[in-house]
Amino acid sequence: MNADQNQPWNSRAWRSELPPGRAAVTAFIDALRRRLRDFESRASLPQELEQAVRQVIAGDDLPARFTQAAASVGLQVHPASPVDWMSVIGDILRKHEAHSVVVQLDTDSPLGKRATDDLGNRLTADGFAPTTAVDDETLFSADAAVTSVAAAIAETGSVVCPSGPGLARGASLLPPVHVAIVHASELVPDLCDYFDGLSAAVGNSPLGPASSSSTSLPANINLITGPSKTADIEGILVTGVHGPRHVHVVLVSP
Amino acid sequence: MSSPTAFRQRVSEAVADERVVRAVHLATWHKVDACAESMRQLRDPEAIRELAAQIKQHTLENLPRYLEQFVAQVEQSGGQVHFAPDADAARRIICDIAAQHGAKLAVKAKSMTSEEVCLNDALEAAGVRTVETDLGEFIVQIDDDRPSHIVTPIIHKDRQQIAQAMARETGCEYTEDAEELTAVARRYLRGIFRRCDLGITGVNFGVAESGTLCVCTNEGNGRMSSTRPQVHVALMGIEKLVPRLRDLPVFLKLLARSSTGQPLTVYTTLITGPKRADDPDGPEELHVVLLDNGRSDLLAGEFAEVLRCIRCGACLNVCPVYRNLGGHAYGSVYPGPIGSLVTPLLQGLDEHAELPRASSLCGACQVVCPVKIDIPGLLVRLRARTRSSQPLLKRVAVRLWKWVMKLPTRYAWAQWWLPRLLRDCGDGWARGGPGPLGAWTHSRDLPIPPKQSFRQLWRKRLSDER
Amino acid sequence: MEVALFVTCLTDTFFPRVGEAVVRVLRHFGCRVEFPEGQTCCGQPAFNSGFHAEAAALARRMIPIFEPHEQVVTPSASCATMVKTHFPELLANEVRWREAAERLAEKTYEFTTFLRQRLDVDIAAHLSFDEPVTFHFPCHAREAYGPEDLHNWLAHSKQVDLCLPEHADLCCGFGGVFAVDYPEISGPMLADRLEDLAASGARLVICNEGGCTLSLAGGAHRRGLPLRFKHIAECLAESLGLMEPER
Repeated sequence: MNADQNQPWNSRAWRSELPPGRAAVTAFIDALRRRLRDFESRASLPQELEQAVRQVIAGDDLPARFTQAAASVGLQVHPASPVDWMSVIGDILRKHEAHSVVVQLDTDSPLGKRATDDLGNRLTADGFAPTTAVDDETLFSADAAVTSVAAAIAETGSVVCPSGPGLARGASLLPPVHVAIVHASELVPDLCDYFDGLSAAVGNSPLGPASSSSTSLPANINLITGPSKTADIEGILVTGVHGPRHVHVVLVSP
Repeated sequence: MSSPTAFRQRVSEAVADERVVRAVHLATWHKVDACAESMRQLRDPEAIRELAAQIKQHTLENLPRYLEQFVAQVEQSGGQVHFAPDADAARRIICDIAAQHGAKLAVKAKSMTSEEVCLNDALEAAGVRTVETDLGEFIVQIDDDRPSHIVTPIIHKDRQQIAQAMARETGCEYTEDAEELTAVARRYLRGIFRRCDLGITGVNFGVAESGTLCVCTNEGNGRMSSTRPQVHVALMGIEKLVPRLRDLPVFLKLLARSSTGQPLTVYTTLITGPKRADDPDGPEELHVVLLDNGRSDLLAGEFAEVLRCIRCGACLNVCPVYRNLGGHAYGSVYPGPIGSLVTPLLQGLDEHAELPRASSLCGACQVVCPVKIDIPGLLVRLRARTRSSQPLLKRVAVRLWKWVMKLPTRYAWAQWWLPRLLRDCGDGWARGGPGPLGAWTHSRDLPIPPKQSFRQLWRKRLSDER
Repeated sequence: MEVALFVTCLTDTFFPRVGEAVVRVLRHFGCRVEFPEGQTCCGQPAFNSGFHAEAAALARRMIPIFEPHEQVVTPSASCATMVKTHFPELLANEVRWREAAERLAEKTYEFTTFLRQRLDVDIAAHLSFDEPVTFHFPCHAREAYGPEDLHNWLAHSKQVDLCLPEHADLCCGFGGVFAVDYPEISGPMLADRLEDLAASGARLVICNEGGCTLSLAGGAHRRGLPLRFKHIAECLAESLGLMEPER
């Protein structure tokens, strides 16, 4: 039975009665609730999603799947070990003739707490100008940025860069070259796995007023799946529009 | 203001513009093929579409509680929420936010909702220079044009037009090379990004569970617009909600594949509140503006499912009507099959009554819609709703049709008359005729009906044979 | 098995040969075929245009005409959908008619569906073509069968040189009243489809929908394209030797 056959809902009627400011939000939701009171919802919320949605399972060769997916979206993947990852990065930066390099590694990354210092020293020794500064001047003029990731998704070839203490959003956005260091332990098989993880962080709060804190999520998370691109001009693919033109992944396996 | 005559005029102009028709053909066919290939890579695309449809339908049917949860979560993460009952209110709220912060330069990432409420004009009138930063929208803006597709706004423009507009606006050296043009736009807009004080984006999905805004983009301007300025305003239609974070993969796995043939857009940005105290960068304030503008009128009604739309543009790409018209003929921010539904439903049935009629109901849109909106079925229902505004001649003709079909004798009489109304040009075909026959023969001939109809054949020889 | 033929107004008027082919093929596979002479039109044009009261009137008219018969077969998938899906919708609120509409809906079949599901006929096994052939998939057949099905029946025929159109599934621009309402849009759509079909290299086009055939054949004739159109029923009848091939 269509509710609108009984009572014509005229949102214009109550629009003029809305209180100003924030109170309008609550007033609207209440009005909507009254409006739908007699409507019987027939569509239930599906609980089992994975069966249909999952593309990559945990047992798959994740580094291989990730490499394949990343390559297909234009990320350049470089295998590395805990011993040579810094020289791999050096090679990439050299290829781009980069000089000023923003280094932004999360202290919690599997590379270790000293990774930033180690990498900084190594880059300096190799003739680059590394910095951990993330002010505008630095970010807008840097040739490249090297960042850690919070996760990498094998299914889609995405690297996940969150904001946080010491983690500027602009690092993976402003310089024309972005080198993301992915440790094999940070690989998750499928997009489902990544979002299940986020859900767990939030605590799967029940419907109704918030009981858990969504501030457990970073304010900003980017799943980066390729270099910045557009095909707006006659369908011609061009990279490096506003974000990085070159995105490299250094995949560190033990 | 759209009226039937205005629509027909736009249609005539559109089909006559060979250059645009050719460009739209190329662009849409390319995307149809890419998207079909991309969808085939999914293990079970039909199952995912079914889930997406159900999740959206459930959310719409229970919208008050999800809205409540979403609002609470946004506020808990430090964001502010506003409600705009209509376009006027949305403009006012956003202009007020700009005024409160003394904003003089606003950047916009692509947002169909902001075009729906005509936001740019209002901001400019309030003294806020507003710059579109999506490359296609930027070109639309500097060329004083309108977008013709909800995902790729300038498929109707060729490189000469783009080159001229860019040279004129930025003062750069004239070039038609796509790489060079993009580099010019990058440099020009980077300067704007450095100085802007207000950023406006849309929202692809709002997650009720955590108050997270999910914004899917390719160029990086969406990230810039929500990161660089002090204030980020996110304008979101109330129907954009999904219940949980784990619902997002269902939609993310469909959106880009249906839209451009990519597995994901380059940037899937998840925004939960403004910057935290320890964040090196990010906006100090996040304002989420919930927009109704007619959407709530559709909830719990027979057209509610149009609100499932995730604005992927797949229906535009596959529609043979859109392919031959381009976007401008629809006279609305939302063209194509979904536009033929939401424009009359959100902006006035009578004004836009012709849009649902300009379709052959081929159903190609329904086949590709990631949230399984029954577009042809709803178009027929809209036609029924606007029946009284159909042209008089048509109403008379349909009644006449019914009258004839009610008696076999009348029917046989009509069958007898038909060949006599047509002028045989000598080869068994007619090239013209009165009324609707004239419209038919606009682009095709009509065969003169055979001397014996089937029922005559049946009586003469078929009924007795076994 | 007793079958009533619902020939459709278009087929009756413009393509009687298709009706004859359906009758002959059904008889060949053991059916007794009746033709209820009271039938006229299922009301689809009125329904699609939004004139639902008029469409309902024609539905109420048609239901008793076919009520006495065990099965109803029609060569038009779109008319079958009209009866199967939209008759019950139109009459859902009418106590007198709702069940009758559903009964008719249940026993009405599109021609190829009837062959496959009720007569267990392997369509491909009985088809053969002595010239290159292509096909137009009518949009509204989707509820009965898909473009892949049509493709398979033709591809697996006893003898065939199948030339694929570039786009299997592309609207011909007919859309019923649409062709007459918006000829300026319908025309270019028709042109696109004809170009696609002509480019296949074949001259014989299998098209199982009267409206599409009317539009495509008329458009081909206007442009001087050497395309001919046949319903699969005609092809079956000819391949089975039940009718003389028409050139």
